[in-house]
Amino acid sequence: MSEGPAVAIDGLGKSFNVGFLRRRSKPALTDLRLRVERGEIFGYLGPNGSGKTTTIKLLVGLLHADAGTASILGFPLRSRDWRRRVGFLPENPYLYDYLTAREYLEYVGQLFGLRPPERRRRAGELLEKVGMASAADWPMRRFSKGMLQRVGLAQALVNQPELVFLDEPMSGLDPVGRRLVRDLIVALKAQGCTVFFSTHILPDAEALCDRVALLREGRLVEVGPLSQVLRVDPSHLEVLAAGLGADAVARLPEAAGGRVPVGDRWRLEVAVGQLGTVATAIEREGGRVLSANPARQTLEEAFFREVGEAPPS
Amino acid sequence: MSGGRTGRLLAVALNTFRETVRERVLYNLIVFAIVMILSGLLLGELSIRQEERIIKDVALAAMDFFGTLIAIFMGVGLVSKEIDRRSLYPLLAKPLSRGEFFLGKFAGLGFTLFVNVAVMWVGAMVALLLAGQGPGGLLMLKGVLAIYMGLLLVVALALLFSTLTSSAMATVATVAVVLAGRYSDVVRNMRQVVPGAPGWLVSAAYYVIPNFHNFDFKGRVAYGDPVPAGDLAWVALYAVVYISFLLGLGLHAFKRRDLN
Repeated sequence: MSEGPAVAIDGLGKSFNVGFLRRRSKPALTDLRLRVERGEIFGYLGPNGSGKTTTIKLLVGLLHADAGTASILGFPLRSRDWRRRVGFLPENPYLYDYLTAREYLEYVGQLFGLRPPERRRRAGELLEKVGMASAADWPMRRFSKGMLQRVGLAQALVNQPELVFLDEPMSGLDPVGRRLVRDLIVALKAQGCTVFFSTHILPDAEALCDRVALLREGRLVEVGPLSQVLRVDPSHLEVLAAGLGADAVARLPEAAGGRVPVGDRWRLEVAVGQLGTVATAIEREGGRVLSANPARQTLEEAFFREVGEAPPS
Repeated sequence: MSGGRTGRLLAVALNTFRETVRERVLYNLIVFAIVMILSGLLLGELSIRQEERIIKDVALAAMDFFGTLIAIFMGVGLVSKEIDRRSLYPLLAKPLSRGEFFLGKFAGLGFTLFVNVAVMWVGAMVALLLAGQGPGGLLMLKGVLAIYMGLLLVVALALLFSTLTSSAMATVATVAVVLAGRYSDVVRNMRQVVPGAPGWLVSAAYYVIPNFHNFDFKGRVAYGDPVPAGDLAWVALYAVVYISFLLGLGLHAFKRRDLN
């Protein structure tokens, strides 16, 4: 096995020519510097057009960088040595619709040099894993977007990669499919695989990632562990209370802010000095305090803070 | 795990062949073979002592015409369609290089055309036999081989344009060059029609545009005139050099291209 981080990016930059009559160069990615450690789940976040897909395309060799260098699994980008060890799911993958899912996976197995029995076995295993075994022999032209996404995910895993790049892997999936992908990502990490994924679905990133990077207009604005990116507010506590109806919550003192229902519980935001008052009021209304922790931003709040836009109300 | 450059190239070629078969391109062969057999029977009735010549002429012309259509219209989509649909994105992140993909596509369509021409050749032989003639022998095979080499050259042209532009523009460009190459005499004598045309431009066009006349042995085969092995070897050399040049240019462009 080679040494070094899973991905190391040093000053990567890319511009595209835009305009028809007046051609001009528009930067899509500027001086990106980033390291992704082996074995972590790394979330790559940013609004549309922020450069997420451009970064992934540069890393897998679909685009040529204007500036900077990068290495994958310790190998320089131009080397072909890392390609046997990496999986890639593009955004909204288009797979050959004249093939069945099984044929497609076997074709991908051929490109990795797997022998026929091995690629048949691997295709069957993966189709089972992504919940597509029952549609394995249908032509893919009959597949929905979500089904294609699942097969796309399976093709990224044919070679049992050490590192996978997943560009919007939850895109087009129903809740069952999203859950499946989340479980799959967790299982990959458990097997020692590094997962680099871009997503717009922030709760998924929050639930899965060890570290995240936030990108805005082609520039990296923040990168780090979730605990660092999601800033702790020392002046407030997040109180979780149970046994309260909506009427009872309405009667709580103003010091109990936030007031977000979470299933049959309520999440309240309380100033540190007001905890005693609020706890007493909760007990008076027949409820009980389950926990009180320092308030922390959600990833969504951090995202909007960093990209400089207001969250949707 | 094992497998090398050749294995990956063959995988792409076989998948390209499978695509053409599933897109029903080869169905025209069956229709053509039936038409050939029927026309052989009909011509046997209508013509006196000309059956063999007419059947050979029609068969070779049909092979050339249908083959060129397939070479152009499948060839221009080989790379541009993959880029437009983004179906090559997951593949190029694998050990498959752009060169292997590009040459695999060429080999795949080349194999499709090989099957196409072979089936048509068999159809022509059946028609000759039904008309009470011999199957055509080595002379007919030489004519068929020359047509096949010309078709490979058309594929290389289409593939080059396919890497440079969209399918529609590539179709226009390929058709234009194939037509110019089939009427290369007109290109050479352009100054008689357009006296103001610069001589260097006419000469350059004549020498740069592939001369598809070189691959046309139809008349000699139909009339039973011999086609020396040296003539066929020269045509093969011409095809190899030209195809290599076009594939080299196309590959260079494809390797440099950003896949947005």
